[in-house]
Amino acid sequence: MTINRPGDLDFNDLSVMDRETVKSALRRGATRREVMGYLMASGATIAAAGSIVTGASEALAATPKKGGQIRFAWDVHGPSDTLDPILFTSSLDYGRGRLNYNNLCRLKEDLTVGPELATEWEANADVTEWTFKLRQGVEWHDGSKFTADDVIYTMSRHLGKESLSKAKVLVASISEWKKVDDYTVKAIMAEPNAELPIILGTFHFKVVKNGTTDFQNPIGTGPYKLAEFKPGVRSVHNRNDNYWNTDHEGPYVEQFEAFGITDNVARVNALLSGDIQMMAQLDPKAASQVEASETAEVFAVPSGAYPTISCMLDKEPGNNPDFVKGLKHLQRRDRILKVVQQGLGSVGNDQPVGPAYGADWCQAANDPVTHPYDPDKAKHHLKKSGVAGAELHAAEIAPGMTDICLMLQRECSKVGFNLQIKKVPNDGYWGAVWMKKPMNVSSWNMRPSANIMMTLAYKGDAPWNESRWKNDRFDKLLGMARAELDPAKRAEMNCEAQKLCSEGAGSLTPTHRAYVDAKSKKVKGFPRVPLAAFGGMEWPEFIWLDA
Amino acid sequence: MSDTTAAAGQSPNPDIYDELPDAPPKSRLRLSMVGKVSVVIVAFWVLLALIGPLIAPYGESHFIEDDVLGNPIDDPSFMLPDMGLHVYFGTDYIGRDVFSRIVWGARTTIGISFIATLLAYFVGITLGIAAAVAGKWTDAILSRLVDAILAFPNIMLGLIIIAAFGSSIPLLIFLAGLVYAASVFRIARALGQDIMVQDYVEAARARGEGLWWVISREVLPNAAMPLATDFGLRLVFVILFISSLSFLGLGVQPPISDWGSMVRENLQGLGNGIGGGALASITPALAIASLTIAINLIVDDISAQAGGSLAKKMN
Amino acid sequence: MMSQLVIRRIGIGIILLWVVSVLIFALTQVLPGDAAQIRLGQQATPETLAALRKELGLDIPWYMQYVVWMGNLLSGNLGISAAGGATIESLIGNRIGNTVFMTGIVALISIPLSVTLGLLAAMFPGQLLDRIITTGTLGLIAVPDFFVAIFLILLLAVSLGLVPAVSYLSGTEGFWKSVYVLALPIATLVIVVSAQMIRMTRAGILNVMGSPYIEMAILKGVPRKRIILRHALLNAIGPIVNVIALNLAYLVSGVVVIETIFAYPGLAKLMVDGVQTRDIPLVQACGMIFCCTYVILILVADIASILSNPRLRHPK
Repeated sequence: MTINRPGDLDFNDLSVMDRETVKSALRRGATRREVMGYLMASGATIAAAGSIVTGASEALAATPKKGGQIRFAWDVHGPSDTLDPILFTSSLDYGRGRLNYNNLCRLKEDLTVGPELATEWEANADVTEWTFKLRQGVEWHDGSKFTADDVIYTMSRHLGKESLSKAKVLVASISEWKKVDDYTVKAIMAEPNAELPIILGTFHFKVVKNGTTDFQNPIGTGPYKLAEFKPGVRSVHNRNDNYWNTDHEGPYVEQFEAFGITDNVARVNALLSGDIQMMAQLDPKAASQVEASETAEVFAVPSGAYPTISCMLDKEPGNNPDFVKGLKHLQRRDRILKVVQQGLGSVGNDQPVGPAYGADWCQAANDPVTHPYDPDKAKHHLKKSGVAGAELHAAEIAPGMTDICLMLQRECSKVGFNLQIKKVPNDGYWGAVWMKKPMNVSSWNMRPSANIMMTLAYKGDAPWNESRWKNDRFDKLLGMARAELDPAKRAEMNCEAQKLCSEGAGSLTPTHRAYVDAKSKKVKGFPRVPLAAFGGMEWPEFIWLDA
Repeated sequence: MSDTTAAAGQSPNPDIYDELPDAPPKSRLRLSMVGKVSVVIVAFWVLLALIGPLIAPYGESHFIEDDVLGNPIDDPSFMLPDMGLHVYFGTDYIGRDVFSRIVWGARTTIGISFIATLLAYFVGITLGIAAAVAGKWTDAILSRLVDAILAFPNIMLGLIIIAAFGSSIPLLIFLAGLVYAASVFRIARALGQDIMVQDYVEAARARGEGLWWVISREVLPNAAMPLATDFGLRLVFVILFISSLSFLGLGVQPPISDWGSMVRENLQGLGNGIGGGALASITPALAIASLTIAINLIVDDISAQAGGSLAKKMN
Repeated sequence: MMSQLVIRRIGIGIILLWVVSVLIFALTQVLPGDAAQIRLGQQATPETLAALRKELGLDIPWYMQYVVWMGNLLSGNLGISAAGGATIESLIGNRIGNTVFMTGIVALISIPLSVTLGLLAAMFPGQLLDRIITTGTLGLIAVPDFFVAIFLILLLAVSLGLVPAVSYLSGTEGFWKSVYVLALPIATLVIVVSAQMIRMTRAGILNVMGSPYIEMAILKGVPRKRIILRHALLNAIGPIVNVIALNLAYLVSGVVVIETIFAYPGLAKLMVDGVQTRDIPLVQACGMIFCCTYVILILVADIASILSNPRLRHPK
């Protein structure tokens, strides 16, 4: 067996034969430790091996059981915890949202969309109108019927100048939502967007009941009913036995209790001691500690999320192309992947799309990388640029962000370039430093498609175009791809866009990271959607506790 | 304290008194065995702080594994080792030599804590004595301000000031200096008030000596020893305060090494045992402990001989 | 005499609280960014920022904010959290209970423990027991509290499985169950605060031992044990109570590291969250609570030392 890329850490990434080898070894009674040893001898890191064995055991798992309680701890929580979908910020918010509400469409593991509260949808010929048929017979937690009015209310909260929605940029092209009848709604758009159903599958578009303004104790249609919610303290969710989804036996678990343990070390220890059953955001450095335990295991999902360093191209020294090129050649991408992310991720190519985007990722444009590690070239470019030194403002906004900066600083000093790192606090970072200081850091979650991701962070006029890169051809490609329904042609446009971005934008993106979480071995049945922690927070109605 | 000393001087039976810990000052300091060992330990750390960079095998932000341990990328079984041939206490969580970082960190940690404590003493004593001597409104205003600072949790003050100005070593020194100057102020003020009503001070003032003369000749010398006994404890508090800030990510910023933040950034390794990175967290903790314990033992020794402690003047 | 002294102290306390309110307000004004910016974070656009600022009442000038705050405060209304929209009362409510509970248990254990150990050390100064107690306590305060906490978790919770690693109460536990759940943070805090109290008790007693009337007693041949228990302890109460008060204030407001590590919802962590999310009403409310606590504790300590000290009880 060979482990091809460092990103190969999912059981499902293995070839069919390898998968069967692992499964049959487990079926024969091989211990977890033995199989992992075998995998690691083939080149997998300890965390990757752990994750693969977890996947294999789950594939073998018996039928789900009902009952039990699960306590889970997240890394970020506080008084700003909210159950208002338009303001969701942390993955804890996302998780609570998925327990309490539903979307119109559900994003699946392969990032295609399936039905949830909408049963079917179709666009008109020029993709400027989308019609959604809604599911009938769905009830809110208070027993009232779910209808089109709820959807219109929910969606309208994302529109208009006064809207507080964090996701309104994604639906800015929608001019209006129209109710056709009680179970049909229509979105009217100013410009074509073939990806609307995908967007509506994301976290901020959870459907709330018509007229809800108080989100201290909101009802939803979701698999769990809210029993208690104290921001910054905890929330308790009880199983909704009247859940509409009859495709499976879920929801299985009796009760979920969600709270935060902000300290990384303490969170791992709580899992290891059995006080919690799930924890988000495992520090990759603790993977071996978790794997050594009898009761817990690593749960890692490869994703396109990435930490990045931006050189703003409209400010000194980023406005000097040689300077940016020089720095790009100084990234030891595989080294960062190994040391900072402990192998849990994949190599990045200074553009936002990684292998986890599946068909959207263009191998020809990204493998090998545009700017490989090359101190000589870097030295040449930095010398040519005439820039003597630079200051990078960094905050630990993503796991390992500071370490990535330190490693870049180290490489800079090797070629005689003085890169100063100014470490600043996380709070206030986005308002005071990001897109303001000439060199800063940033972090992005994975988005459901390459087009959405590139539009958000690289389109010339995008508000979050963090490196201030403007390329007319790139912008045009994005628009063309959005209106294009032929996959082959879209892929071609995607390739060109990724190549342009990798060459020209001011981002240094050495790696894409996996979402690395950990859980008790007894909790099973997780979907693996790569859009957020814990398999995209899709788990609430699927997981079960093996007593 | 002056009255104690004066009373002890007239003691008819000095032998009995000698058995007590708070014996009157000897003309010459004689340290106990423990005291002597402590002096050696403190001297060791101070020396290291001065010449550390000369003897550290690596720079404080030097990633060593590509030089001596091979390339982790080529070796799939590569784990950051704790005990290597060239790395005495292993490498830290990201592959830097723990030994070198401790040596470099001696400078930062000892530097910050000493300067901050000295600053706190300078400001606290100046204002405290001023308040005691001037009395009235000066005293009332200064005391309320200091009370307000003391009533404010240190961490809250640190959090807000660092959020406003960004974390840097001068700011940390200022912050710790400010916080502890408030406590020193209270002690110095209490001592000052106590001394100002002593007979010899009143006599001096009656003689027509100036205020400055009184302060420099009578108040400061008499307050010196009680203030000094508190120095060691104050130093520990500064180090702990800065490490608490490090816990919140606001202390000494990377890549500069400092013992408190070393303990923090390598805390994850503690669970992996000695072979898995625990030393990177344990050794700086031991460094902090050895330095601070030694300083306090010296102070204990001196104050036991000098007689009196400062507890009475604390508040 | 006494009542005058106490009234004066209370007056000073009220002035102090006002100074603190100005200080808190001034400090919150120097914080860069505001709640709207922090809440929207990376996803902020000028449009959403303006809308949220309006909703949170951040678009009014700062002096009006102070007036509004003071007005609310005096009428007993702590305001609305800028970070999440909940009322401050609801955020603070059970956290006060949690903080008081943990502080109480730690105090119940650490105060008798420290005074006893301090006394023991003072009875045999310079001897082995004294050396062990003084060096041991020094060793314990000299190590960062998070190191002690994680070490205890690894040893007692992860390896031995004796107690839980997180101290998270659901509110339905009984008293003993709560103490069990809180075992580790209590242990850590007892270690952290006892060390200083032991040292100060010892120092306070030894200090009194140097005073002339104790000397007289020694000369008269009163046994040392009796001197310490009868005379020295009573006279050392002032400084000891003071140190206890300072440590209690620390337990209420300064234990953010412990609350974070053990995920215990107390006030200190809430205040840190408040600063980090620029939730000014929350920061102000917490700040006022902490300062009130401090003022009250110090007041109690002052009264205790006045009562225990004949010279202060009957001033000339």
